[in-house]
Amino acid sequence: MAIAERGYTHWTGTLGTGRRPWRVIAGQAVRLAWKRKFFKPIFFFSLLPALVFSAGIYVSERIQDFQEMLKGADKFLKINPEYFQAYYGSNFLFFMMLIIMVGSGAGLIADDLRHNALPLYFSRPLRKRDYIGGKFAALAFFLLLLTLAPGILFLFLKLIFSGSFAFLADYPWLPFSFIGWSVFLSSFFSLYTLLLSSLGRNRRFASILILGAYFVSDVVFAILFGIFRDPAFTLFSLQMNMRQASAVFLGVKPPQHVSGFYSILILAAIMAVALLVLRKKIRGTEVIR
Amino acid sequence: MNAGGRILRADKLGKWYGNVLGLSDVSIEIGPGIAGLLGPNGAGKSTFMKLITGQLRPSIGTVTIAGQAVWNNPGLFRNIGFCPEQDAFYEETTGREFLSGLLSLSGFSTAEVKERAARALEFVELAADADRLIRGYSRGMRQRLKIAQAVAHEPEILILDEPLNGLDPLSKRKVIRLIKEYRTEGRTVLVSSHVLPEIEALTKSIVLVHQGKILAQGDIHYIRDLIDAHPHVVAVKTDDVRALAAIFVGQPDVLSLRFDESEGLVVFETRNRDRLFERLMKVASGDRPAVEEITSPDDNLQSVFDYLIGK
Amino acid sequence: MKLSPFLSVFRFSARLVRRSRRARLLAAVSLLPVVLAIALQITRAAVPGRPLEGLDVFSNVVMGFSLQFLVLLLSLFFGTSIVADEVDNKTLTYPATRPVSRATFILGKYAAAVSFLLVLVLASTILSFLILMIDRLSYGTAWAFLGRSLAALSFATVCYTALFTMAGTFLRKSILFGLVFCFGWENVVQYFPGTTQKFTIMHYLKSLLPGLQAGAGGTDNAGMLKFLLFRHEPTSVPVAVLTLVILTAAFLALACFLFSRKEYLFDE
Repeated sequence: MAIAERGYTHWTGTLGTGRRPWRVIAGQAVRLAWKRKFFKPIFFFSLLPALVFSAGIYVSERIQDFQEMLKGADKFLKINPEYFQAYYGSNFLFFMMLIIMVGSGAGLIADDLRHNALPLYFSRPLRKRDYIGGKFAALAFFLLLLTLAPGILFLFLKLIFSGSFAFLADYPWLPFSFIGWSVFLSSFFSLYTLLLSSLGRNRRFASILILGAYFVSDVVFAILFGIFRDPAFTLFSLQMNMRQASAVFLGVKPPQHVSGFYSILILAAIMAVALLVLRKKIRGTEVIR
Repeated sequence: MNAGGRILRADKLGKWYGNVLGLSDVSIEIGPGIAGLLGPNGAGKSTFMKLITGQLRPSIGTVTIAGQAVWNNPGLFRNIGFCPEQDAFYEETTGREFLSGLLSLSGFSTAEVKERAARALEFVELAADADRLIRGYSRGMRQRLKIAQAVAHEPEILILDEPLNGLDPLSKRKVIRLIKEYRTEGRTVLVSSHVLPEIEALTKSIVLVHQGKILAQGDIHYIRDLIDAHPHVVAVKTDDVRALAAIFVGQPDVLSLRFDESEGLVVFETRNRDRLFERLMKVASGDRPAVEEITSPDDNLQSVFDYLIGK
Repeated sequence: MKLSPFLSVFRFSARLVRRSRRARLLAAVSLLPVVLAIALQITRAAVPGRPLEGLDVFSNVVMGFSLQFLVLLLSLFFGTSIVADEVDNKTLTYPATRPVSRATFILGKYAAAVSFLLVLVLASTILSFLILMIDRLSYGTAWAFLGRSLAALSFATVCYTALFTMAGTFLRKSILFGLVFCFGWENVVQYFPGTTQKFTIMHYLKSLLPGLQAGAGGTDNAGMLKFLLFRHEPTSVPVAVLTLVILTAAFLALACFLFSRKEYLFDE
């Protein structure tokens, strides 16, 4: 019997149906991020506000029990859309989401560019949308854990501790607001991070860009608003835009006297630009001039 | 530089990476000429290279060049050239700028830098592409550029870590030729590789490394002869295998033999190869059986290595 | 004429810094104060009578942005890159196997980075000043103000880059350290009352700024930007300068020491 030594042979069978290559990419990115030393403590630290707000929901239903401790504070524990907007529009939440993006997302595309891994990816039956979708999903996973998961928990706790559906009857749009805002915010941060990660081959540079762009926009707003006192300058700041947009989604009055819909448009435009740039940057071959 | 200044010496050298042993109890001396350092991946070759080029500090023992410790002794590198294994460059520079920048670190004047860079580029046949950005170079060009930066300041000691990695056969021949050209005038060249035929093409003087230890050092044939535990294998092509086998089967220094009539081959195992060859010559000078070819299939580096690691 | 090793490292590194795409992008960021200055001047011209004093805007806006943000960010990136880039790109082998001491190498690279940063920051500041003060350039005090502001920014660049160079020699996550330091420690502790604020580099830098004494300077229009001056208890200028010089020297000495003794293992 002749023994044939075979190396790589081309697969002549049919590929499996229901393939989702983006899930493989997403799963690997999530696992890699989770393995990093500082990522777990930073992630769990980011859940602190959710814990505090959850406790607030419990306390709001037991105001009498905590009367002594909470003299005068009960008006802050009125559970309504403003309460949730305080969570969803908080600077601390945005900042922690940014740090998580730096920790898990700065090198997502930059490292692939540095190690010339894109030809390896696209030598498989993988489309650009699978690659981008996979990376996006990895980031969105962590961000939804900080936004959508607490939102579901808040509603659940409110229903449990109040013992009735009156809250939902009063604010029937709230679950959809939570879902809509969580998805919107997570999409924005994910695409923003992927855009900046794709601009170079250096993870550290991407980290600087992610944080720098965020803070520069805020500083520019602070300078211009400080001089001109015109709320329109809100639109320069990513952070302020997110707070304005969160107010629109949750059906409350935006913090600045400018329509929150402009903020949504600006954030959506940034997402669109990110997608365009990613489509251009992600390719299987590198052109060297 | 005198001959003493071209000697690399390691004395009970050891290196740990935490709990992982990189190199253990290595004591060797490498002098003028080409020496091949070989072993499989993970054997400790690169660790040894990094120790003798001062990139790592020995955990125990010493490593010296020209009698001076290497670690934290930059002055030694006036006469040492190192070609690293990793494919790493300042990608935004041209080949010429890369060489010139490194040459200027060696303290040469501007005019000398220019001249030496041109000469080195000529030596590695990169003169035509010298002003292109390195990021546009092919794999072979990058490898040759690495060699150029190692030889540009004409060091007396040249250390090359896997210089033939990733090269096509034509480029490999070019680089082998370059290395052989360089060892003139008593220079010391140490080349590491995990591909044994490449080292065989360069030198007969070898250092075998395996699992962080030196298995053997010296001339490859000499080492082979020293391996008493393993008999030598001699293959003889003949038109009458049975007749040849019958002549030798009674000889005391022939440990075993087997023959294949379809191939016309008789394979002997012997502890005294010289005696066997002597007798074979006598048979060959006669009419019958006709001896067409005599080879020693295990008198090569792979076999030596396999024997030493116990394969 | 033989170039000294330090100069050779400086020239080679300066070329690499100038050529890198990242440097060009960050150079564009450093022009933000200029863009702001132009925008403010246009607005002022478009709406005459708006009481915006050029020097107030320069001192509070440009200096606030440059000192509290721009210099920190640029120094963080370039300072940590001095060693990190060589290790990440595995090019450290080349200078490490030249007859150049590691201390000379890191100092040469530091000098190249600082020179580049100084050009960026000072050019941007001078341009902003000229734009904002275009109708008041004959005022001698304004030029004196500019001079001290440039001195403060120069010290900031030199000192912060030295700190982050040192951090880059021994910390794998030097960027993270830098971000926590800049946006955590420096941005918060500088506003603590009493002696505590003296434990920040920013305190000594702000002490060099003329007219930026607590509660003084700025117009009502810059009310929101007085955060720069909030609770600042200035140290005398000679002491501030001496402290900054000593800190810079200490950071660089430590960087040289650590870089000379550390083994750098490349990721395989």
